[in-house]
Amino acid sequence: MLLAKKNIPNTLKILLIIGFGYFFWLMLKITLEYIPLKTDVSFLMIKQTEIGQRPEYLYFFYIHVYTSIFVLLCGFSAMLRKNFGLKNFHRNAGKIYIFLILILAAPSGIYMGIFANGGILSKISFVILGCLWWFSTFKAYQLAKQKKFKEHKQWMWRSFALTLSAITLRMWKVIIVYLFHPNPMDVYQIIAWLGWVPNILLIEYLITKKQI
Amino acid sequence: MKIVPLALAGLLTASVISCKKDSPADTSSKNISAKKDSVVAPEIYKEYYGIYMGDFAGKEIIIPEIGEEYEGEVFKKISLKINRITRDSVYGQSIVDGNQRPFRGVFNETTKSFVLDEPGNDKTDGRFEVTLNNDSLTGNWNAFNKSAVKAPSKLVRLVRKEFAYNPNFMLSPDNDLIDWENPKNFVEKYTDEETGKTESYTASKNRIASDAVFKINASKQKLTERDLKNLRKLDMEIIKNSVFARHGYSFKKATYRNFFEQTDWYIPVSNNVDHDLSAMEKENVALLNRFIKYAEDKYDSFGR
Repeated sequence: MLLAKKNIPNTLKILLIIGFGYFFWLMLKITLEYIPLKTDVSFLMIKQTEIGQRPEYLYFFYIHVYTSIFVLLCGFSAMLRKNFGLKNFHRNAGKIYIFLILILAAPSGIYMGIFANGGILSKISFVILGCLWWFSTFKAYQLAKQKKFKEHKQWMWRSFALTLSAITLRMWKVIIVYLFHPNPMDVYQIIAWLGWVPNILLIEYLITKKQI
Repeated sequence: MKIVPLALAGLLTASVISCKKDSPADTSSKNISAKKDSVVAPEIYKEYYGIYMGDFAGKEIIIPEIGEEYEGEVFKKISLKINRITRDSVYGQSIVDGNQRPFRGVFNETTKSFVLDEPGNDKTDGRFEVTLNNDSLTGNWNAFNKSAVKAPSKLVRLVRKEFAYNPNFMLSPDNDLIDWENPKNFVEKYTDEETGKTESYTASKNRIASDAVFKINASKQKLTERDLKNLRKLDMEIIKNSVFARHGYSFKKATYRNFFEQTDWYIPVSNNVDHDLSAMEKENVALLNRFIKYAEDKYDSFGR
C-alpha cells in the first residue's frame, strides 16, 4: 500500500517528462524552421508589413524565437528540483531560465504582442501575458535570493505555467481548428487568451488548495 | 556531370514558375500553326475571326457511386478560336478543360461551314464539322480514336464572344461557391437511440468560399496583409485566380473552371497570361501566393 502511494507521483512524473519531451520536440521543430535565419519563412510569411515598416521587428522576433527554446528546456530542467549529480544544476538551470526571460524573451515578447495578429483583443492578451511572465519570474528570482524557498517555488510555478503557454496555445489551436474550422484570425483571438488564462488559473488552484 | 545540377536548376525554376498559379505555363502550342505560310496566302473573311464559346455535349457511360452505370449526357464548355482564314486553310485552336489544341482545316464558302482537324497526337484530338449562322457556330465533333475517349461523338453549340479584359469582373452572389472537386472524408459516429449501438460512417465535406470573393478584387486594389489575414485558403485561391480568369486564362484545374464558367464574362483564350498582368496584379498575386502557402502549411498544424 505504501509502495503504491509512493509510485503514483513517480509514474505521473514520468508521464509528465514524456509529455513535455514530446511537445518540446514539436517546439524544437518549429524553431528549426528559422534556421538559417530568413526574413520571410513560416510565421514571417504573414508579417512582412511589420518587417517592412519596423526594422527592429525582426531583431525582437529572432531574439524571442532563439531564446525561448532554451527557456523551455532550462525551465523544465529546473522544475524537476534535482541536481542529477551535477553541482548546482538546479540553481544554474534556474539562473539561465530567469535571465533569459527577464532580459530577452519577455521584453521581446511584449514588443511583439503590441503588433500581434488578430486585432486589439489578442494584442491586449499577449502584452498582459508578457508582463505577467516578466513579473512572476522577477518575483521568483528575488525570493530565491532572500532564501524564501517556499514562495520562490510558488512564483516559479506561476512563471513556468506562463512559459508553457507557448505549448498550450498551439494545442488549443489544433483542437479548435479541428472542431470548428474558424477563420484563421478568429482562432487566433481565442487562443491568445486560452493559451495562458487556464494555465494560471490551474496553478493558482493548486497553490491555494493543494499547497504545492 | 555538369548537366545534372543544371537540369536540377532548370527543374527548380520551372517549379517556381508553376507555383504562381494552378499549373505550369505552356506557350508552345499557341501560335505554331498560324505562323506557317503567312506570307503566301491572302486572308479572307476576317469578319469571322474570333472566339466562339458554348456547350460541348456528348453521351458517356456514367458510373455513379451508388447504383448501376448508365448512359448520360455530359456537358462541357468549349471555346474555338478562329485565327486565320485563307482560300485553302483555316487556323485556330480549341480549349476544353484547360486543354488547348491547335487545329487546321478548310472553309466552304457556299455552305459557310468549317471542317477543322486537331493535330492527332493527343488521344482527345478529333475533327470539328461546324456551320456558321450569323453569330452561332453549330455542328459536331468526332474523335479520331473512338476507343480512347469516353464520348467519341459530341455536339457543338457555340456563340461568338468578344474577349475583353475588364478589372471589374468578379464572381457574384448568384454563383455557387462550393468547391465540389476536393471533398474531405471524415468519420462520424452515430448512436442508434433504440438499440444503443454506435456505428461510424464516412461523410464527406466540401469547401465553401465566403463572400470575401465578391468584395476583394486583386485587379483593382493593392492588397495588404491585413486584407488577407482572416481569409481561408479557398477564398484566397479564388481571389487570386479571378485575376487570371479576367485575362482569359484557361484553367487546367476543374475547381477554378467550375467557379468561373458559371459567370457570363469568363472566356478562356490562353494558357499563359503571365505577361498580360499589370504590375499591381503581379504584386497582389505574389502576396496571395505567400498567404496561400501559409494557410496550407500552418492553418491546422501545431504552430501559429
